[in-house]
Amino acid sequence: MKKIFPHLLLIAIAATSLLPFLWMVLASFKPLAEVEKLNPLPTVWHPENYKKVFEQVPFARYYFNSVFVAAWVTFLTCLTSALAGFGFARLQWPGRDKVFQLYLGTMMIPGVVTMIPNYTLMVKLHLLDSYQGLIVPAAFSAFGTFLMRQFLLTIPPALEEAAELDGASPWQVFWDVILPLAKPGMVTLAIFTFMGNYGSFFWPLVLIKSEHLRTLPIGMLFFDSIYGRQTNLIMAASVMNIIPLVILFVTCQRFLVKGIQLGAVKG
Amino acid sequence: MRFFFLVSLGTLMALSLLAWKLEPRFAPTGKTPLVWVSDDNPQRKLQIATFNAQSKSSALRLDPNNSGMQKIIVQSLAGVGPDLFDTNAANLPVMVAADVAWDITDELKKRGIALEREVWPSTLPLIRCNGRFYGVPANACTNALFINKKLFDKAGLPYPSGPWTWEQFLPLAQKLTIRDARGKPQQFGFLMDWWTWPQFVIQWGGQVYSDDGTRCTLDSPEAIAGVQFLHDLIYKYKVMPSPVEEAAMATQGGWGAGSITQFGGNRAAMGFGGRWWLCTLRKKEQFPGLSLTVAEAPHHKERVFLAYGRTTAINKQSPRREQALEYLLHMTGPAFNQGINAQADALAAFPKYCEGERYLHNPEFPEEDKNDVWRDVMAAGKPNPPSPFISSQLADRIMGRQLDLVKNDQKPVADALKAAASEINAEIQKTLQRDPELKKRYDTLKNLSPAPLPGARPSLGKGSSS
Amino acid sequence: MKRRQLAIALPFILPNLLGFMLFTAGPVLFSLCIAFSNWNLMRSVPFAWTGLENFVTLWHDKDFWLYFANTLYFLIGMPFAIAGSLALALLLSQKIKGLVVYRTLLYLPSFTSGVALMILWKALYNPDFGPINYAIEALGLHAPQWLLSTQNIVGLGVEKVGFDAKQLGLGARDAIIIMGVWTAIGGSNMLLYLAALTNVPQDLTEAAELDGANRWQVFRNVTWPQLAPTTFFITVMSFIGGLQGGFEQARVMTGGGPAGTTTTLSYYIYTKAFEEFQIGYASAISWVLFSIIFVITVINWKFGNKEVAY
Repeated sequence: MKKIFPHLLLIAIAATSLLPFLWMVLASFKPLAEVEKLNPLPTVWHPENYKKVFEQVPFARYYFNSVFVAAWVTFLTCLTSALAGFGFARLQWPGRDKVFQLYLGTMMIPGVVTMIPNYTLMVKLHLLDSYQGLIVPAAFSAFGTFLMRQFLLTIPPALEEAAELDGASPWQVFWDVILPLAKPGMVTLAIFTFMGNYGSFFWPLVLIKSEHLRTLPIGMLFFDSIYGRQTNLIMAASVMNIIPLVILFVTCQRFLVKGIQLGAVKG
Repeated sequence: MRFFFLVSLGTLMALSLLAWKLEPRFAPTGKTPLVWVSDDNPQRKLQIATFNAQSKSSALRLDPNNSGMQKIIVQSLAGVGPDLFDTNAANLPVMVAADVAWDITDELKKRGIALEREVWPSTLPLIRCNGRFYGVPANACTNALFINKKLFDKAGLPYPSGPWTWEQFLPLAQKLTIRDARGKPQQFGFLMDWWTWPQFVIQWGGQVYSDDGTRCTLDSPEAIAGVQFLHDLIYKYKVMPSPVEEAAMATQGGWGAGSITQFGGNRAAMGFGGRWWLCTLRKKEQFPGLSLTVAEAPHHKERVFLAYGRTTAINKQSPRREQALEYLLHMTGPAFNQGINAQADALAAFPKYCEGERYLHNPEFPEEDKNDVWRDVMAAGKPNPPSPFISSQLADRIMGRQLDLVKNDQKPVADALKAAASEINAEIQKTLQRDPELKKRYDTLKNLSPAPLPGARPSLGKGSSS
Repeated sequence: MKRRQLAIALPFILPNLLGFMLFTAGPVLFSLCIAFSNWNLMRSVPFAWTGLENFVTLWHDKDFWLYFANTLYFLIGMPFAIAGSLALALLLSQKIKGLVVYRTLLYLPSFTSGVALMILWKALYNPDFGPINYAIEALGLHAPQWLLSTQNIVGLGVEKVGFDAKQLGLGARDAIIIMGVWTAIGGSNMLLYLAALTNVPQDLTEAAELDGANRWQVFRNVTWPQLAPTTFFITVMSFIGGLQGGFEQARVMTGGGPAGTTTTLSYYIYTKAFEEFQIGYASAISWVLFSIIFVITVINWKFGNKEVAY
């Protein structure tokens, strides 16, 4: 009996966090004239709203771009962060802690500070309006390095000491001993990076001009303004936008929870 | 783990290949590809097709871009800009200052084209800056009143016709505004796009900037009276929706801003808009049963109408600018301008195409029998020149903030406009401190007699739209 | 020896370090430099070093102070979000059935946050057909105009930083705050609290209960002190995030309006840099913003819990 109250409360709160999503899904099936009416269910279901989204804008292309860019960024971030994390956590070298503090310090700097110089850099490197311009600057993350270092520190050193005694080089230790053990940390970093880039708004907004390079958040905005407010179609687009995230979250949440609690920072 | 990384890398490489494959390839071989940044109005497709059909050397394609001038400038300076871009009177000076707009004065002269004599005079600010030409106006526009015949008939009122004044207009609009018992509006007498507010300033005899552009004159009694009337249309006469009522009505889709679709949805009897509204309102499937006509908009002290429009200019940094010129020349010809009139992408910028049966009675749209009205109000068009001494973005932000307060009835009109004027004038002084070139020009103008030479400054019309 | 160490470490560090230098450290220094210049993307003004001029202008820039006030105003949501996360974590920590399900549902808003959700909320807040106002009106209350209104709960004036009784009410800023709390409450902070709660030694709470302490007393005297490091960490991170925030909301939901009331410093920097092209000035603002964040973090550090280990 004692347990019923917390359940009721939790159900109420969970409902609050879900209602907007529900509204979104229902609105995405309504005809335009009905979005503003308050009947929760569409009188006639219009699944063709989803088809219309693809007809009015190259939505599949936006989808592809978002996933493509986020996947590359995730791959590169995981690789470089794991390498550097290993360097910071496991290797001794002069100036290591100074450099690490520098990394930590920059995590406090607002993104807008680096945005302008980075933009100029992209101009100089002729990477405006290109996939590379979206991918490369995002691929070296101080946060990722920090997260991987913290994770690697929790791995007991006995294992790699044994490997070293067997004559393994640092590279062998890294690939064969450390990385397999660092999998949960890696997955966390991968999810955060993917998610962050999939929803990334600002950088693509200023960097991309061609329609075929637009990512979902930019594409949706364009959709909101130019074609008027076709709220039902916007909602259909939104639903499709967040579906990959929901799938990702549901499948990986076990790792995520651990990762957040470990790294103690949101990406 | 190594294996996993290699597999990921392989997959990504394959995806990159796919992405590279999917890269759209434009322009059939043998023709110079030209990229044109414009809005996403469906009419652009037709305009492109017309040009591509007759051009032997170039193939135009659209880069629909709704984020405006900033990106064009930075991209052009970075060498990845378009070949042609659309701009308007407010932005042209910025494009010129940023060295992005190509001065085509001499090219025009070589070909014997005298734009200053050929286009509607009020569109000159769209293409001319410091006495030099930078583009060809794509269209020209002054607003008129769209009349919803059905709502007039229902109220048993005759359709108005101009010239007439706002005083004559008011009782009509009041009769056509209907509210329910709770005071919730069912129908409005009048609707307009808020950004055309300078219309009221100029009709009441005011100006946003002084003639030489050195000072913001929104604090003049005329400007204040004009905006006051606009405010009163909402809060005193209650014939026009407040922002809240407008948001409540807004949901309908379609190209363009809310007012068009609200008017098309029978929510207002009269809509103050440009001929380009027809691009949307002609869609029978979206607005079934809509039947409309047009009347000249009311005036006050002066029978003038805010003129605005779109201009196409060439990117000075483009390696293909000579080829791009072909498109601008095409824009001075009949195929393009008759197309503009037929598509109702506002009005052709060349008055000579706004004459005759072909223009007055488009057989495809026999119910549009008042095309003469559009031409007549265009002839009474007056541009709304911005100042060359302040970034129009900044000025817009300042005015926008004050007008937001007026629109929401949170600040007396006089206070708001005075605040806007003094803030803008302070910013002008700041700009001059930063920019010695501008300062020199400013001082010359200040020392001149109050009547400036025509064309000695960029005189500009304001407007986004079609 | 040192050289050998470096030779081994370098291949591991270098890829990341180079990128870090090029895209983070370098730009940071670069933006610091141009904050002292008049650099303008428009070529009309010749480039010049202007010393402290940008910062002096900033000091007299009325807009800056207004937008700074907005930025601070948006922090109002922070304690609610943190308290909410804590409350949820406490609820979930009671060995409740279906923990994973609840956790998933509660985390969803935070996970999917972004442009799509902002567009959704824009529709939810619509004064007339939005479901929020429908619910409020159904309760017989006066419905606010949300994103269209300049009102706010502390009566912050529109045109100058100060009190204005006419501005008391609920408006655009509050709408964005509510959305923010909704997004954040079941997010990472809740998970952090959840983890911290499992680390609170069971025997401590049990001992307290044996001593006859009621639940509140147990929480106040045993659990809360144990959570202090987590609370501290969350607070610091929320300040950092909050002070940098507001760009997407302004860009997607309000355009910074009405009357500039939802313009935060980060959105202001965007307009200055990418709409008015005053890159030097925009850099100066971003450095001031950074300094503010830095000072607040240092203050947090000084007065916050000192047991937190990085």
